Amino acid sequence: MVSDRVNSGRRTFLTVATSAVAAVGAVGILTPFVGSWNPSAKAKAAGAPVKADISQIEPGQMVVVEWRGQPVYVVNRTVSQLEALAGLNGQLSDPESENDAQQPAYITGIERSSIPNLLVVVGLCTHLGCAPKYVPEVGVTDMGGAAWVGGFFCPCHGSKFDLSGRVYAGVPAPSNLLVPPYSFEGDKVLVVGVNPENV
Amino acid sequence: MSNMLIGLRDWVDARLPIMKAWNTHMARYYAPKNFNFWYFFGVLALLVLVNQLLTGIWLTMSYTPSQEEAFASVEYIMRDVDYGWILRYMHSTGASAFFVVVYLHMFRAMLYGSYKKPRELIWIFGMLIFVVLMAEAFVGYVLPWGQMSYWGAQVIISLFGAIPYFGEDIVTWIRGDYLLSGITLNRFFALHVVALPIILMALVVLHLLALHEVGSNNPDGVDIKKYKDKDGVPLDGVAFHPYYTVHDLQAIGVFLFIFCGIIFFMPEMGGFFLEYPNFEQANNLKTPEHIAPTWYFTPFYSVLRAVPDKLWGFIAFAASVAIPFMLPWLDRSPVRSWRYRGNITKIMLVSFVSSFLILGVLGAWSPTEARTTLARVCSIIYFSFFLLMPIWSSIDRTKPVPERITMDGGIGFWGSMGALLLILALTILPLQAVASSSYDCGTIACDEFKADPRDQASLQRGVKTYMNYCMGCHTMQYQRYNRVAEDLGIPEDLFHVNLMFDPDVKMGALMQNAMDKDEAKKWFGAAPPDLTLVSRARQPQWLYTYLRTFYQDSSRPYGVNNKVFKDVGMPHVLLELQGMQECAPGPIVADNGGVKRDPLTGEDILEDPCGRLVIPVAGEMTSQEFDKTVYDLVNFLAYSAEPMVTDRHRIGMYTLLFIALFTIFAWLLNREYWKDVH
Repeated sequence: MVSDRVNSGRRTFLTVATSAVAAVGAVGILTPFVGSWNPSAKAKAAGAPVKADISQIEPGQMVVVEWRGQPVYVVNRTVSQLEALAGLNGQLSDPESENDAQQPAYITGIERSSIPNLLVVVGLCTHLGCAPKYVPEVGVTDMGGAAWVGGFFCPCHGSKFDLSGRVYAGVPAPSNLLVPPYSFEGDKVLVVGVNPENV
Repeated sequence: MSNMLIGLRDWVDARLPIMKAWNTHMARYYAPKNFNFWYFFGVLALLVLVNQLLTGIWLTMSYTPSQEEAFASVEYIMRDVDYGWILRYMHSTGASAFFVVVYLHMFRAMLYGSYKKPRELIWIFGMLIFVVLMAEAFVGYVLPWGQMSYWGAQVIISLFGAIPYFGEDIVTWIRGDYLLSGITLNRFFALHVVALPIILMALVVLHLLALHEVGSNNPDGVDIKKYKDKDGVPLDGVAFHPYYTVHDLQAIGVFLFIFCGIIFFMPEMGGFFLEYPNFEQANNLKTPEHIAPTWYFTPFYSVLRAVPDKLWGFIAFAASVAIPFMLPWLDRSPVRSWRYRGNITKIMLVSFVSSFLILGVLGAWSPTEARTTLARVCSIIYFSFFLLMPIWSSIDRTKPVPERITMDGGIGFWGSMGALLLILALTILPLQAVASSSYDCGTIACDEFKADPRDQASLQRGVKTYMNYCMGCHTMQYQRYNRVAEDLGIPEDLFHVNLMFDPDVKMGALMQNAMDKDEAKKWFGAAPPDLTLVSRARQPQWLYTYLRTFYQDSSRPYGVNNKVFKDVGMPHVLLELQGMQECAPGPIVADNGGVKRDPLTGEDILEDPCGRLVIPVAGEMTSQEFDKTVYDLVNFLAYSAEPMVTDRHRIGMYTLLFIALFTIFAWLLNREYWKDVH
């Protein structure tokens, strides 16, 4: 039935061209199906930046702020706690915060904070996501005795972090606690979820 | 690479007969080469089925099947889920498209006798698909939990109450409650997304297996298997793949063009695909003014209404759906296709189709005496087509059927257009006789209104009026503040400071208010409705007319009444702007629809004591300024009812252009391949 006059070149071209157009169309059709899995406006509203009053946090005290359903630890570190940080560098995996994924670019140094005394970290262990406990007391026996200068301890698998959220070496957690984007409105209000305007 | 793929194919083929299946159903399935326009609809039905399954699965990801949440979750899909509105419109338009293609597919079978021996089982499976599809569409329509979902389901489920003795018990059992409730909604959800789709797919497989066993019929109704070449290939057949795959590809292009045109430019289809009252949440204490099933059920619904008895109405309704099952045994003609039958068949087919269409239109209209009479006449024609078929099909004259298929048989394009015109004339003329005009806005005609979602200045003025005059009582609970600010081009901080009452409410929050619903009911007689969707439920021209026709009426609790919404509980909140309108004698409308005039002087007769409204003491605004303010307000309400409307039009344009391009390629490809055949 197929005649000898078949122009196979044109036939191949049209087949390939139609298939190519159809493939573009398929991507177009996929767009709403894939896109609809992104966080909805409802999820975004629930995950919107949260504000917290930081003027009432006593030195050495920690408050927990909920942001995107996660606990965010806000610690007003004392001068002695800050002074102890430098001495720990030898015991830590990443003392200089070289893993860029764990903090925004404007968070640097061993304090890992915008305002030196105020630590803001996501309170989820980088090992498997448990919430570490705040253990500010110095020299706790279970935590290694006199060497412990205060920090966070994850009860699930025993990972330890210092008061800058830096992970100790030799524990299951692979990286420092995550610092969320945050900024301030005036002196008193911390906004978690928004970068400062000048960066 | 291609060697690897061939290797993989052969590896699987040695374990699973994929090549055999491919050859049986595609590459060596020989279909008659004279398929015409009518043969596209099977493939299109399959395409729509896939569309319904995929979009349906995706919709369940965001839908909540509960009495409290269902309606809100549909609006959540429409507004908050990225691209959710496309998925929902694809699904709602797909439901109607399914019935369009299935009805045309069934009509094809009737034209060419495709149900006759040996294809009886194909027809039976097809009819079962149709019935399951009706059930699937019915339970699916309940899920959005709007007013039409609720009251439509109420009516249809109550039908079973007509069954003697057990009727009421069956109704209660179907609902699982003493009224239609969330319990019913939950079981309908399970049926809609799991049980019925499985049955539907199984029936589609059986339909196709049965078809491919006996082979396709054709417009001439001749058997192509009588003449085969030396390889056993029918001389009048062509391989389904590639010839009919490329052939169907062009039809898919044209179909998608129309389908997407509806999705992106008229998703409500004038209230036939998405009925306006269904944009109002189900209320078990208030029936909408006019209940009509979705258009694809209306012919059968008309039959139900035509019978003045509950039980017999139910029986007639069920019979009208079931009687086509009998078609293979009712048809006694020795010939399959209408092409080789006589005039009786032609007359019967034309009158059958016209009466079916008339029944369809009547089912969407409210009944009057004249309409009920017409519905009875058409029901009789509908049933006589089937019941008298053994007689008329056997006495009709037939022409000799050719041995081989013809490529130029039938009545051609212009003949078909003529037949279509004849059918439309036979449908429209009787309907015109029973048509009636009524006012869209209560006692008066609506004033014209054209929403302009691109006019941001108007929308900004509208939201200001809304927040100042409406928001205190009416929520807009499916809309978020930040969406309004973004769409209307208002900076969020300005919006927050100037337009929101409560500084603690977040920009991402839904637009709720603090009014207590029960208290409000005491104050106004009815709780002020949520206004997010009011412009879709009521239509903007209604709102525009309504908001401008409050007038003084001291018999009412708030001293005002309304021309459009008589005895409404709402006070005239825009009073200070408009000033109080008062009734003045005005013209009335004559029976012929025009204004009644004095036959001698030609002047209007001012018989209506409230035919005009006048403003003795002006408000803060002139009448023009007030109209402009209400226009902006209603424009904003129209926007909030469908905030994605500008996206919809924009994406729609690109989509249609793309589909047009695809169709051109598909057409060229088809022409190239079919050079082999012609």
